[in-house]
Amino acid sequence: MGKLRKSLTGVVVPLLSILLAILIGAIIMLCLGANPAVALKNLVIGAFGSKPNIGTTLTKSTPLIFTGLCACFAYKCGVFNLGGEGQFIVGSIAACYVTLTTGITGFPAMLLAMIAGAVAGGIWGFIPGILKITRGQNEMIISIMFNYIATLLMGVIYTNWLRDGSVPQTAAVPKESMLPRIVTGMRMTWGFVIAIVLGILIYYFLYRTSAGFRLRAVGLNPTASRFNGFPVKRFILISFIVSGAIAGLGGSVELLGTQYRLINGYASGYGFDGVAMALIGQLNPIATIVVALFFAALRAGATTMQAATGVPTSVSDIIQALVIVFTVAGMALTQLPEFTAFLQKHRREEAKKA
Amino acid sequence: MSFVANLLLATVRMAIPLLFIAMGELYSERAGMVNIGLEGLAAIGSLVGFLVSFVTGNNWIGILCGALAAIAVNMIYAFATIQLCANHTVYGMAMNIFAPALASFIYRVYFGKGSDLSQIQLMKGIAIPGLKDIPFLGDLLFNQTPMVYIAFLLVIFTVIFFKSTRAGLNYKAVGENPKAAATLGIDVIKTKYLACVICGALAGIGGAYLTTCYSNTYTEGNIAGRGFIALAAVIFGRWSGGGILIACLFFGFCDALQIRLQVASIGIPYQFFQMIPYLATVLALSIIGGRKLGPKASGKPYRKEER
Repeated sequence: MGKLRKSLTGVVVPLLSILLAILIGAIIMLCLGANPAVALKNLVIGAFGSKPNIGTTLTKSTPLIFTGLCACFAYKCGVFNLGGEGQFIVGSIAACYVTLTTGITGFPAMLLAMIAGAVAGGIWGFIPGILKITRGQNEMIISIMFNYIATLLMGVIYTNWLRDGSVPQTAAVPKESMLPRIVTGMRMTWGFVIAIVLGILIYYFLYRTSAGFRLRAVGLNPTASRFNGFPVKRFILISFIVSGAIAGLGGSVELLGTQYRLINGYASGYGFDGVAMALIGQLNPIATIVVALFFAALRAGATTMQAATGVPTSVSDIIQALVIVFTVAGMALTQLPEFTAFLQKHRREEAKKA
Repeated sequence: MSFVANLLLATVRMAIPLLFIAMGELYSERAGMVNIGLEGLAAIGSLVGFLVSFVTGNNWIGILCGALAAIAVNMIYAFATIQLCANHTVYGMAMNIFAPALASFIYRVYFGKGSDLSQIQLMKGIAIPGLKDIPFLGDLLFNQTPMVYIAFLLVIFTVIFFKSTRAGLNYKAVGENPKAAATLGIDVIKTKYLACVICGALAGIGGAYLTTCYSNTYTEGNIAGRGFIALAAVIFGRWSGGGILIACLFFGFCDALQIRLQVASIGIPYQFFQMIPYLATVLALSIIGGRKLGPKASGKPYRKEER
C-alpha cells in the first residue's frame, strides 16, 4: 500500500508541476501580448498536428532519451553524472571519424560508429568515475569540466581536423551510412527505436536482475552495501562507464540519424536536459522516456507557435525549467513529516466517517 | 608592458569573477548550504547586470540589480532546501537549468532575435593615488576597476569575520552543528536564509562583473563553467578566505595564460588553449584529493522538531 502511494505521488507531483508550469507559461504569453489559448493550440499542432510533425517530435526526443537515461543510470547508483553532454559529444565525434575517415559505408559503418560512440562515451565517463573512487573527487565538478573539454575538442575537429570547406563544420555523413527512417514522410529514424529499446533494457536490468538490485542498493545506502560485501567502488565506476556509454551511443545515433555533421552549438544543453528528464521522471527509465517525449513535443511545437503567434521559442525552455523546479520541490514536500502526518490524519478522519 | 606584466594583470582580472562567486559559495557552505546552482545565479546576474547597465547607462546600478536578481532566484533554492528539505545538489542543479533559461528568455524578449550585439561602456579603472606609483605592483593592484578593490576587501573582511568575530563563529556553528547552534540561541533558519542572500548577491555580482567590467556585451553561456570552477576553488582553498583567494588567482592565471597563448601562437588550434582552465580544475582537485574539510553539516537538512 505504501509503495503504491509512493509511486502515485511520483506521478501526481510531476503532472501537477507540468500543469503549473504551463499555466505560468500562459501568463508569460499573455504578458507578451499573445493569446495563450491560440499559442498553446499552435504548440500542440506543431508537435502532433501532422505526420511530419509527429516525426519531428520523436526525432527531437531521441537525444533527450539517451542523455536522460545516462543521468538516470548513474544516479541510481548514487553518483551524479553531469557529464552527459561531454559523453554525448565524444560519442558523436567517434561516429564522425568512423563514417568520414575509414571508408566503410552502409550498415557496417553504422554498427561500427555506434560501437565507437558508446566506447568513446564510456571512456569519457570512466575519467570522473575513476577520479571519484581513487581520489574521492567531486564527480559533478569533474564531469562538468569534461563537458567543456569535449565541446572544445569538437571545436578543433570542425574548425580544423575534419573541416569541410570554408564553413567551420565537418562534412555530412555519407548517405548510405545514415540511419534509415522507419516510415517515409516522418523524420524519425531507427535511432528512436534504439533509444526506446535501450530504456526498456535498462529498466529490466535495474528492477529485474540481481546486479541491478545491488546497484540500486549501493545508490540508496553505500555504507550498508559495503557491509553486505558489495564492491561499492566497482559499482560506482561501472555505473559511470555505462552511463557514459549510453550518452555516447546517443551521440552517435544523433550524428548518424539527425544532424549528420558536427557544427558550432551541436548538442549544446543536452546533458543538463537529460538530468532534468531523469529527475522529473523520478529516476525511472520508462518515466524518463515519457518525460523526454513531452519535452520534445514542447520544443517541436514551439517553432510553430513562434511562427503563428510571435511567442519566442524560449518560452518552452522556461516551461521545462519550471517543471523541474516544481517537481523537485514538490517531491521534497511530499516527503516532509508534516505532509505525511497530514495525510494520515486525513485518512483516519475518513475512516471514522465510514 | 612585458608579457609577464600583461599576464599578471589579466590574472587579477580573470580571478575577480571567480572570487566573488567562490566567496558566495563559502558563505553558503559555512551555514551548511551546498549550492551548486552558482552557474545559474551568475548567469542571471550577468544578464540583469548587462541589461540594467544598458538601459540606465550606469554600471553600478547594473551590478546592484544583477545582485538583487540573483538573490531573488536564490530565494527559490533557499525556500526549497530550507523549508521543504529538498536535496541541495538536486535543487542546485534545477537552478542551473532554470536560471540560464530565464536569462536567455529575458535577453531574447528584450533585444529580439538577430539584433546587432548591443554593447555598454565598461566600468572605468580608478587609480589609487600614491599606491599606484609602486613599481610593478602599483599597476597590478592599485590601478584597477573598483570591483577589484571590493573583491579584495571582501576577502579581508571574510577572513576576519569567520576567524575573530562572535557573529562569524555563530554563523560557522550553523554549518558545523546546527542543533548545538540552536541550543545556544542562534536562529539557524534565519542564518541559512542570510547565507542564501549573501551567496545570491555575490554570485550575481560575479556574473555581472563579466558583462560590466570584462566584456562589454552579453552572450549566452558567457559564464562558461565559472560557477563550477568557483565550486572547485572553495574545495581547493579549503573553505578559508585566504585559500580561496589563492585558488581563484591560480584559476584566473590559467584563464589569462590561455588567452595570451591563443594570441601568441599560430598553428595550434586555439581550442586546446581554452581547455587549460578546465584541465587545471581537474588537476587541482585531483592533487588535493577528496578529504572532507568542509563544514560538517553541509548539505544536510535541518529540522527543528527532530530529536
